[in-house]
Formats: sequence, C-alpha cells, structure tokens
Amino acid sequence: MMLEMTQKEEKFIIPIGPQHPALKEPGHFEFAVDGELVTDATVRLGYVHRGIEKGAEARNWNQNLYLVERICGICSHIHAFTYARGVERLAEVEVPPRAQAIRVLVAELERIHSHMLWFGVAAHEAGFDTLFMFSWRDRETIMDILEGLTGNRVNYSANVLGGVKFDVTDEHRKTILEAVDFMEKRTKHYLNVVTTDAMFLQRTRGIGVANLQQAHRLGILGPTARASGVKRDVRVDAPYSAYKQFPIKMVVETAGDLEARFVVRLKELFESYRLIREILNNMPEGDLQVKRFPRRIKPGEVISRVEAPRGEVFYYIRSNGGEMPERLKVRTPTMMNMASVLAMAVGHQLADMPMLLVGIDPCFSCNDRGVAICNSKGDHDQWTWERLRQHGIDFYAEKV
Amino acid sequence: MIKEIGELLKGMSITMRHFVTPPVTVQYPEVKRPVRNRFKGRHELKRYDNGLEKCIGCALCAAACPADAIFVEASENTDENRFSPGERYSSTYEINMLRCIYCGFCEDACPTEAIVLEHNYELSFYDRQSAIYTKDMLIVDVPVNGLPTPQTVEPGIFNKAIPEMEDPK
Repeated sequence: MMLEMTQKEEKFIIPIGPQHPALKEPGHFEFAVDGELVTDATVRLGYVHRGIEKGAEARNWNQNLYLVERICGICSHIHAFTYARGVERLAEVEVPPRAQAIRVLVAELERIHSHMLWFGVAAHEAGFDTLFMFSWRDRETIMDILEGLTGNRVNYSANVLGGVKFDVTDEHRKTILEAVDFMEKRTKHYLNVVTTDAMFLQRTRGIGVANLQQAHRLGILGPTARASGVKRDVRVDAPYSAYKQFPIKMVVETAGDLEARFVVRLKELFESYRLIREILNNMPEGDLQVKRFPRRIKPGEVISRVEAPRGEVFYYIRSNGGEMPERLKVRTPTMMNMASVLAMAVGHQLADMPMLLVGIDPCFSCNDRGVAICNSKGDHDQWTWERLRQHGIDFYAEKV
Repeated sequence: MIKEIGELLKGMSITMRHFVTPPVTVQYPEVKRPVRNRFKGRHELKRYDNGLEKCIGCALCAAACPADAIFVEASENTDENRFSPGERYSSTYEINMLRCIYCGFCEDACPTEAIVLEHNYELSFYDRQSAIYTKDMLIVDVPVNGLPTPQTVEPGIFNKAIPEMEDPK
C-alpha cells in the first residue's frame, strides 16, 4: 500500500539525449511517462552553442555574411539573405532587380532541398526507409543544380552585400527547368504516398494535433503553423525582395496533425516550382551588384525578416557607424517551434516522440542561442554580468 | 483475395522496376562524379603563358578572407630574378585548408585573377601541419611554352603589375 502511494506521486522520467540514436543533433529531452503515455516533457538546448552572435561583433560587415551563412547547414542562403537585406537597408542601398530575383531563386531552390531533406528524415523516423532513400535521391537533383549555379552544394555564398555573386545563364535555366519538371512529378507521387499509404497514416493522422488556438498561443511559425490553419508567411504578409514581383500563394491546412504538416510542406513545393519557373521565364535584366557598397555603415538599427523553409528568420542589426556591427541578434524558427513539441507531446505514446519532434523540422544548430524568458509577471528576467558572476560563485560555493 | 494479390503484384512491380533501373550511386574512390563548372574546390595559383606567376603579392585575398585562412608575404622583383610582372611577388603564400570555408571571396578580391578555386575536392590530412598548403603546392605547373620562375627578362617589359583587362560584363 505504501509502495503504491509513492509510485503514484513519483514521476518516471525517461531522459533522451544529448547523444541518442533517435536524435540527429544534440538536445536533451526529459519525458515523464505513465506507462507508455507521456505526461510531461521538458527540453534542454544549447549543446552546440557556438557564440555566433558575439563572434559577429568582432568581424566586419562582409565577413559576417559568411559567418551567418554557417548558422544553419540547410537554410544557409536564407541566413545570408536576411543579413544582407538588413545591412543593405541600413546602408540605404538598393539592390538591382536581377540580383533580387536570383536571391529568391536560390532561396526557393533551397526550400525544395530543405523540404525534401526533411521529408526523408521524417519518413525515416516513421520507419519508412524506402521513402527516405527515394526522397534523398531526388533531392540530389536540386543539390546538383545548386552546385552548378553557385559552386557549392551547401553554404552557397551566393550573396554579397549589395547583390549576388553569379549570374544565371541560359544553360542553367534549361537544367533548372528540367529538374523542376522531374521534381514536380516526384512530389505528386510523394503527396499521394503520404495521404494514402495506410501504414504511414497510422503514424501521422491525428498525431500531435495543435489546433488554431494552441498554435497562436505557442507562437508557432512556418509550415508547422500553416498546418494548424495559421495564415502566417512572411513572403505573403510582408513581401520582400523579388516576392513583390513574383507573389506566392500561401498553403494552409487546418487539421494541425502530422499529416497536415506533411501535406503543407509538399504542397509548398509546388508553389516553389511554379515560382522558380516564373522567375526563370521573367528574369529581370540588369546588374548583379551595386557599384559600390560602403565599408562603414552609418549608425542605426534595423530588423529584417525572411521566410526560411522552417518559418520566419528574424535579424536585428545595430550599427554604431563602424566597420563591424555593434549587435546582431538572430531568431530562428526552430527556437519558436520547440515549445509546441513539448505541448503536443503530452498525452501521446513515447514512440510518437521522434515523429513529433521531426514534425516541426527541427534544426538544433539554429536553436542554440540565448533566450530572454518572460516570466508570469511580464518582465524579462535579464541577468547582468555581475549577477551572473555572483551566481557562478554561489553555485560552486554551495557545491563544495 | 484477388484484390490482395493485385496489391501484392502492384507493390512487387515497383520493386522489380527499381531492380532493373541503374543505380544512382557511384562507387566513389574508383568512379568519380564530375563536378560542375563553378565548383569551388582547392585553390590554384595561376601563371601567365610565359610562365610568370600571376600573383603579385598584394595580399588582398588575405584581407578579404572571412576566415583568415590566407597568409601572404611579398618580396621585391628584379629583372634578373623575376617571378611576376610588376614590383613584387609573393615569396610566401600559405592557405590553411582547415580554416578555409571555400566561399570564393579571395577569387573575387584578386586583381590579377591569380587565385582560382579549382575542382579538386579531395583534401584530407593526417595532421594539422599538413593542412597548411604552401605556394609550391598551390601553384600550377609551368605552361608548355613558358619558362620556370625566377626568369631573367629584358628590363622595361614587365613593369605593370596588373595586366590590361576588360571590365567584367
């Protein structure tokens, strides 16, 4: 009798990570379980914190372009794009239309390869490795295009401040259009698979439902939010760069479960294919770069938002008139979506956890940055250097 | 029953179709997939047709490098000991391949198009010291009709460091 009492009060916690076969990148999860059902979930992030924001303060404007590109290994162009846009706005430089179109072209190609990569990983987590192999094989066509276009398969370094580095020739145009046709055919097939395959649907349909209210409350971004019916896409809400000339149609699903997230991402691919064709057929003529970009940028601050494959990337850049930024703040979509995993985890089987996590398309290296947590009273709990130092001294004094 | 067999055949037909289609993978060390034209691989220091080095030791590449991977030291050219056109040449040119991020910014910064990211991607080392590529490793072979450097040349021919070039289109 006594034993039963304590068992009821005590929680059985399963720790997963930071190194775990089910995790592709380091993160620490603790799931409180009741049998197989998850009753509570917490996460601890920061295992691959690299201090990029601080590092950016010690590099000049140009060098940072390459530094921020390495925040994320998959959406690298998006980070450079967001940064370049911010700095160009700060310097009041107008980027030539052809350069803007090429930036968007690379961004959309990147979206395709990112979604295909995610699709493969998600299929793998669901135990459908054939789909994983197929989707990654098809992803190679896009990687080849990006290699042909920019010279690198990842970290394309396509941007320079005030334009892009390379041109899209007729030959590229032909190969891209061919590849897009091929990818469109394949994506149709994949959409058919994820909506009809009975085994796959058992892992996705009705799992991890986040309804509209929850999505708003948790501040979910990107395709994960659009799967819950949130009409939120920076490309539509605040069209930037060439999205003004080449508008995109938002893909919204309302079910909010894992299946909807698959469908949203795959349907987004069709929009990307359409946009790529449209850009290639109506490529504006003109220069690739501005003639001169200032070395020092006049004092000021700017925010820049871009829709990455995973959601909104947000940059805050402040200049004090020097050769280096005074502050660079990056907010990545995975950071915002992580809370939704924890909320959705409650009430699900432990076996669904990898699928739930992968459903938001997590990028752990994007994730590892400082956060200011708003407490219930509404004020930010900001730690000064002195307080942090005192905390460290007290912490270790207590330990000894 | 018939329906189940039909489903089975449908599934097997996909398997059999992929069984006969050629694989997309290549047997890497034996078979190499060709890289694209714009591929950014290992750097090469180029020469002119007469064998003179294009690099003039200006170290603009080192200044542009976001990763601080390049180290250049320049020395004076003389007409008896001429390495490159102009006043100076690079007596030391080192790239730390562990630092290099292959962004191609050195290529863009170079005024004489001396440094080019070529197509070699097989870079692996046993120790960190051998990751530093020196000028001897980076510079290309002397062209067929060229002479090895240092050359002895007539005075007054190679006074200009930067050759006549068209504006990029």
